Amino acid sequence: MGSIDPVFGIAAAVTVLAGILTVTQRNPIYSAISMLACFLGLAVVYLRLAAPFLAAIHVLVYTGAILVLFLFVIMLLNLKPEELGVEYSLKIRGAIALLCGGLFALIALPLWQDQRTLPKDPPPAFGGVEQVGDALFNQYALPFELISVLIMVAVFGGVLLAKKKL
Amino acid sequence: MSIAHYLILSAALFAIGAFGVLARRNLLIILMSVEVMLNGVNVALLAFARLHANTAGHVFVLMVMGVAAAEVSVGLAILIAVFRNRKTVDTGDLKSLQG
Repeated sequence: MGSIDPVFGIAAAVTVLAGILTVTQRNPIYSAISMLACFLGLAVVYLRLAAPFLAAIHVLVYTGAILVLFLFVIMLLNLKPEELGVEYSLKIRGAIALLCGGLFALIALPLWQDQRTLPKDPPPAFGGVEQVGDALFNQYALPFELISVLIMVAVFGGVLLAKKKL
Repeated sequence: MSIAHYLILSAALFAIGAFGVLARRNLLIILMSVEVMLNGVNVALLAFARLHANTAGHVFVLMVMGVAAAEVSVGLAILIAVFRNRKTVDTGDLKSLQG
């Protein structure tokens, strides 16, 4: 564990806080807005990791498509406060929080001794459109095509499931 | 800058998402928590891609984003169908399959 880069520190703090708000808010609309902050913080983290292309795609896909889809569904359902359902008792939620804290500790504690530092400067053009596109269309062309099939099936499935009459 | 910071952020996001999936009963928020978990994994993939200067990690992140988009579209369609038929988004009320 070395010193923390201030930009990363702020972005990570925003991301984690917004993530906690996302899963704890009672009203889904506040959750969705917290998720927006979480994703924007993550985009900054991606930029720090020398992945400018993926940071742009992340903002496009997550905040531009997924978050807007969530907001549309929230508006479509238009849940009243009494329709939000009941939550588990505080005891059960505390136990689950403890369990997830244990999961985090299980991963994070061994990392405390991790001395590997990132190379000072990434190779030139690392993480740009050119390199990612080259890997995507040469080495990983088949997975790329399979993902397109998956997304097409998801589109058909989404339309079919949401239709009034099956 | 150590890679451990990025991996700890990744673990934190994954744990937060896992808490949301397990402890919440609102279907919408469960789906959002799954997104948070997937993003935690993406951070780890990008950190290792940077450590080894290997673009494969970036390609995997793109795949994860594609899967996440497909998962959300189908998940929200199921949610709309459930809400239309049962008038609830509470997983505690959905127990037709319970033995």
